[in-house]
Amino acid sequence: MTRPRTRTQRVVFQPTTYQGMQSGINQMIDAIRPTLGPRPRNVAVNDALKSKIEILDDGGSIARRIISLPDRDADVGAMYLRHMLWRLHEDVGDGTATAAVIFQTIFNEGLRYITAGGNAQRIRHYLEQGMRLILDTLSTMTAPVEGKAELAKIAQTICYDPPMAAMLGEIFDIIGEYGRLELRAGRSRALEREYVEGMYWDGGLVSREMIADAKEQRTVFENAAVLISDLDIEEPQHMVPALFVALKTGARAILIIGQRFSDKAKGFMIANNDSEKMRIMAVKTPQYGQDQIDALQDLAALTGGRPFVRATGNTSLDDLKPQDLGRVRRAWADTRYFGVVGGKGDPRALRQHIADLRAAHRNASDPAVRQKLRQRLGKLMGGSATLWVGGVTERDIDLRKTFAARTAEALRGALTDGVIIGGGAALLSCRPALWAKLAESADTDEQAAYRMLIKAMETPARTLIANAGGDAGEVLAAVEMAGPGWGFDINTEQIVDMAQAGIFDVAAVQKAAVHSAIASAALALTVDVMVHHKKPETSTNP
Amino acid sequence: MSTEQEQEQQDLVYALATSPNFDQDGMCFAARLSGLYRSEDHGASWRPAYDALDLKEALATISVVLSPDFASDQSVFAGVNGGVLRSGDGGASWHIAGLGAPPPAVCALAVSPNFVHDGVILAGTMEDGIFRSGDRGRLWQAWNFGLLDLRVLCMVVSPTFADDETIYVGTESGLFRSTNGGRAWREVDFDIDLAPVLSLALAPGGALLVGTEACGLHRSNDGGRTWARLGRETIVDAVNTLIIAPQPAPQDILVLHEGALLGSRDGGQSWAPWKDDLPGDITAVTAPKGLAPGAPLLVGLADGTVKLV
Repeated sequence: MTRPRTRTQRVVFQPTTYQGMQSGINQMIDAIRPTLGPRPRNVAVNDALKSKIEILDDGGSIARRIISLPDRDADVGAMYLRHMLWRLHEDVGDGTATAAVIFQTIFNEGLRYITAGGNAQRIRHYLEQGMRLILDTLSTMTAPVEGKAELAKIAQTICYDPPMAAMLGEIFDIIGEYGRLELRAGRSRALEREYVEGMYWDGGLVSREMIADAKEQRTVFENAAVLISDLDIEEPQHMVPALFVALKTGARAILIIGQRFSDKAKGFMIANNDSEKMRIMAVKTPQYGQDQIDALQDLAALTGGRPFVRATGNTSLDDLKPQDLGRVRRAWADTRYFGVVGGKGDPRALRQHIADLRAAHRNASDPAVRQKLRQRLGKLMGGSATLWVGGVTERDIDLRKTFAARTAEALRGALTDGVIIGGGAALLSCRPALWAKLAESADTDEQAAYRMLIKAMETPARTLIANAGGDAGEVLAAVEMAGPGWGFDINTEQIVDMAQAGIFDVAAVQKAAVHSAIASAALALTVDVMVHHKKPETSTNP
Repeated sequence: MSTEQEQEQQDLVYALATSPNFDQDGMCFAARLSGLYRSEDHGASWRPAYDALDLKEALATISVVLSPDFASDQSVFAGVNGGVLRSGDGGASWHIAGLGAPPPAVCALAVSPNFVHDGVILAGTMEDGIFRSGDRGRLWQAWNFGLLDLRVLCMVVSPTFADDETIYVGTESGLFRSTNGGRAWREVDFDIDLAPVLSLALAPGGALLVGTEACGLHRSNDGGRTWARLGRETIVDAVNTLIIAPQPAPQDILVLHEGALLGSRDGGQSWAPWKDDLPGDITAVTAPKGLAPGAPLLVGLADGTVKLV
């Protein structure tokens, strides 16, 4: 997308700053607002470059598609919000529409108060103080989730697809929060799932000559030794110590993992692949760089071997000892992947290794690092699941896959951090704590901040009801009458005890949405001046 | 046990199983190094149960369980090196269920209390984790999601399995729990330094007892969140078998500890020898009529003999 070029920098002051930002923020949020809830309305995005129309119902994706607004003052507000929403989407996979409407309430109310003479920095301070109170209140409401039925109910609140919700509930009940789930396009209209025993990595056989089962195009060894390395094997004699040591340990099969094998080395292995004495297969070391070293360490923990890694200078196999080779009950490889089942490493060491990875995952703040750690943990958990997502058309399948991915992310969050009552009811239940603070405050800025927060906690429920075609004022009055923990079930159009009805939200998602929305809105309220660059860049990151 | 069936000294009894109607039918089984044996007279006489298989050499049998509905389905399951043997006629004939390659050594078997409806049976193995069958032992599949230690030593199924689908597994490095009928496992917060876990018992109220190899007996009343050691002074070594009475607290508890039977009538507060004049070198025990005072026990010995005491 190109923008009109400006010849000079432009500095924008109040009231234009607020007016511009508010215009951009409201345009962005008005585009996302209809997508909140189980009866969302979709947003059509015209992709001029690809000449196609996308139908979206996910706030994060909608925000990502809006990469600039023609009014440059409005654009600043829109892009500020866009970055917040996409970051939230990347972190927790959901909650963007909730965050958007909370942001809008706080920003618009805050702006009204500040332009009437309130102090922006003090308002920000009190908003952040109130945000901590809300997060603490949500924590007290958080309950653990267990069992496929509960997980399926949560999944249903995200994907609104009962068969998929049931299947994802079952899958996550089995694979757990770190489990590996592959989503693939199905071959029919239905959903199908498969559970795979053991762990597998990218990196297939280095020669098709090593395929033992021509029909299945794979090779399977039982009770095999494993040489774990990222070495370049040039000369056949480099492998000889490994073969002798494997024989000495009683193994009659060996899986050799290496970065590269010369033709001479491959020829040696093929020529010496003897089903009576020693069967040999070699695969390429999975991944690259630090990820590769991590993968080798995981394999070592699993199988009890010692990784031979060039980066550590541990490259000679001459003094190889029996304990340097890993052992597995089953090793397999095809032309793309290799895997192991039943690693014979020390279970105590493996459990400690996994505990260390879990701790690192808990403490990591970078989403990319967290994802890598989760993938490593998933590989060590003993198996993986594949979900084939079917549909009527290719676009239908793509859409269902997107929903499945989003739901899967949320279910991981639910298993890790628990759930709270859904449909905006948990946020409504935060108001008594805010009312109490409001009542005891004598500071007008503080009072104003708490009023904004109270109103913001009602906004998601109001929006959900309105999106479903209900009268938000009337319904919320009925919810108030029913008492704490009650809310509006959009599907049955009844006031229900949300926990009993099984209507839950993922606690981590709701907390992240609340945190992002309030902190970002509070900061946005303090912006007084905007400076436009001479050649503004189109916002493409993300 | 008859003279010709008496085994040499090392033919120890690994496991015993009795019919739920033991009082009436007197049916019981003994899993031994030399195979599986069957008695129809409350253990007074025994004969090999694998005759129909016409084996050329002894088939060491490490575990044996009967269906809770044995009176009508006559189902017996035996864990051997390589798979599970299944009988639907009280051990007269057998079907072999292979568990895949390489053949696993089945060292523990557990049947769902709701077997008549769900047909669930689980097999714990020495190197390959847990196998599960949902069709009365015909087809088996490994289910080891989250089971970070595949060296299974013991298993216990919740008495209320039909509702909670809960199973505990003791392994070389600790304790794992499944709440979905044995399809996936999660670590239980049991100190790894206390493992291996050799025996488990679960009371209807939820109390979980864990017998270890070298660190005695432990009890949790809250699903494994907190633990208390029982019989610290008395039970100091390997606890090979645990039996807990299905009654409200304080439960009667029987443990097989270093070849001898110890009992508690107060939920594990105090311990004493279960009975006077019991034989030594006990390797297996079962309580066919519960743990009430005077109720008989079936005990297996290191020399292969089995006695009703």
